[in-house]
Amino acid sequence: MLNHIWLALIGIGILTATGRDIYDLTTNTYGNDIPWIFDAAITPQPDGTKQQLQLRVSAEQRRMHFPHAVWENDNFSIPATLTHHGRNTFSIVFTLTDDIPDIFREMSDASGSKGTLTGNGYFRTDTQTITVSLDPVKFVYLKRITNAAFDSAGVAVQIALGLIGIMALWLGVMKVAEQAGLIAILAHIVKPVTVRLFPDVPHDHPAIGSMLMNISANMLGLGNAATPFGLKAMEELNSINPKAGVATNAMVTFLALNTSCITLIPATAIALRVAAGSADPAIIIGTTFLASLTATIVAVIVSKLLQRVKLFAWDRVEAS
Amino acid sequence: MELFRNVVSILSALAVPALMLFFLVYGTMRKVKVYEVAVEGAKEGFTIAVKIIPYLVLMLVSIAVFRASGAMDVFISVLRPITDRLGLPAEALPMAFMRPLSGSGSLGVMTETMKTYGSDSFLGVLVSTMYGSTETTFYVIAVYFGAVGIKDTRHALPTGLIADFVAFMAAVFFVSLLWG
Repeated sequence: MLNHIWLALIGIGILTATGRDIYDLTTNTYGNDIPWIFDAAITPQPDGTKQQLQLRVSAEQRRMHFPHAVWENDNFSIPATLTHHGRNTFSIVFTLTDDIPDIFREMSDASGSKGTLTGNGYFRTDTQTITVSLDPVKFVYLKRITNAAFDSAGVAVQIALGLIGIMALWLGVMKVAEQAGLIAILAHIVKPVTVRLFPDVPHDHPAIGSMLMNISANMLGLGNAATPFGLKAMEELNSINPKAGVATNAMVTFLALNTSCITLIPATAIALRVAAGSADPAIIIGTTFLASLTATIVAVIVSKLLQRVKLFAWDRVEAS
Repeated sequence: MELFRNVVSILSALAVPALMLFFLVYGTMRKVKVYEVAVEGAKEGFTIAVKIIPYLVLMLVSIAVFRASGAMDVFISVLRPITDRLGLPAEALPMAFMRPLSGSGSLGVMTETMKTYGSDSFLGVLVSTMYGSTETTFYVIAVYFGAVGIKDTRHALPTGLIADFVAFMAAVFFVSLLWG
């Protein structure tokens, strides 16, 4: 299952990106090879002389380059730095300020230079105009997925390494509670529920205590504490797993409880609402509680039903 | 409701310090050598975190490629007739699709939706509820199964996605109730 989904995500991603790039190339979305003509009085200067300019983009020029783009700002000019090379030719760098339409920023991102666009051109003293050819923009989406793949590979390692500290802290505290017999007491209290949810797990197994801690932390919106308890619970569930590498029914039920977890305090969502200037950020507590409660009940039922389906059945794989 | 809110906010502020204190004091009372035992437990943190890396890298890369390609927009437009019929507002669809895939991505969608439609509007409250009532299913599966080297996840993903879907539909239902 996960194999197919994983492949599908990558495959669909690459195919979509390729399709979009082909579309952009055939329709010339970025106006490649169409020269830009700006009004500017430039006189010949020695090589290497730099000049700062404000170039006004006329509506006519824009329509010529981007006939399909939607414009939020109809009147703007782009600051540029022009460097003289030769008699009346130059290279030029546009600096993209905040009021410039998004398509320019897309082009800049695709060329790998954040916030600038480069090109070259020539000027005419008689008409007082300059003609600029921007470096062509191609394969925007393929470049974007390549960067996304490399970036996220790095991010994944950062996330995992970032877990080390918080894991060490909570697993340390947890070990103390375990040795003191506290986890066993907790597990005993919830026994009537856990024997039904996890019939394959002995009711006094340490996994029960860890799962309980994980779910409580999740309910209170303590994501930082929930993950270490959850991973500890998985380790303990795996210690009674007869088939290495295959998820047990208890693991899947636990994950179903976890991903749909009943939420008393949606801490992150509330924090974000405060940041967004909400007048009543906590209004979502009630709706979130009811929605997550519904989801949790359904999730447990679904996990119990699907574990019998042939496609997912425990018996279909040999013990290794 | 006001009382409930106060109770939960006090609970969330107190939970971590109180829990730590309680565990450690109880441990001391039961003659556990708290520091030595805690160090033993803490050592496991490193191995678990490192074990997760390959699973998390591959999962996040495939999701990033999918997101960056813009395939999400295509999916949304294809599935929109179905979700329209189910009563899921079109404006909330990006959230519904992003939430199981990416935590940071769905935070971005939530901010964007609240900026466009207002944080206290029906849609603002709806996407906040959708965010709060579910987890990033793909991430949880990669991390939790990765930590114990499970490669055959059986029915975990379909269960998680069905749970997400139910949570979204329930969010629409309860937020609509709230709006009367």
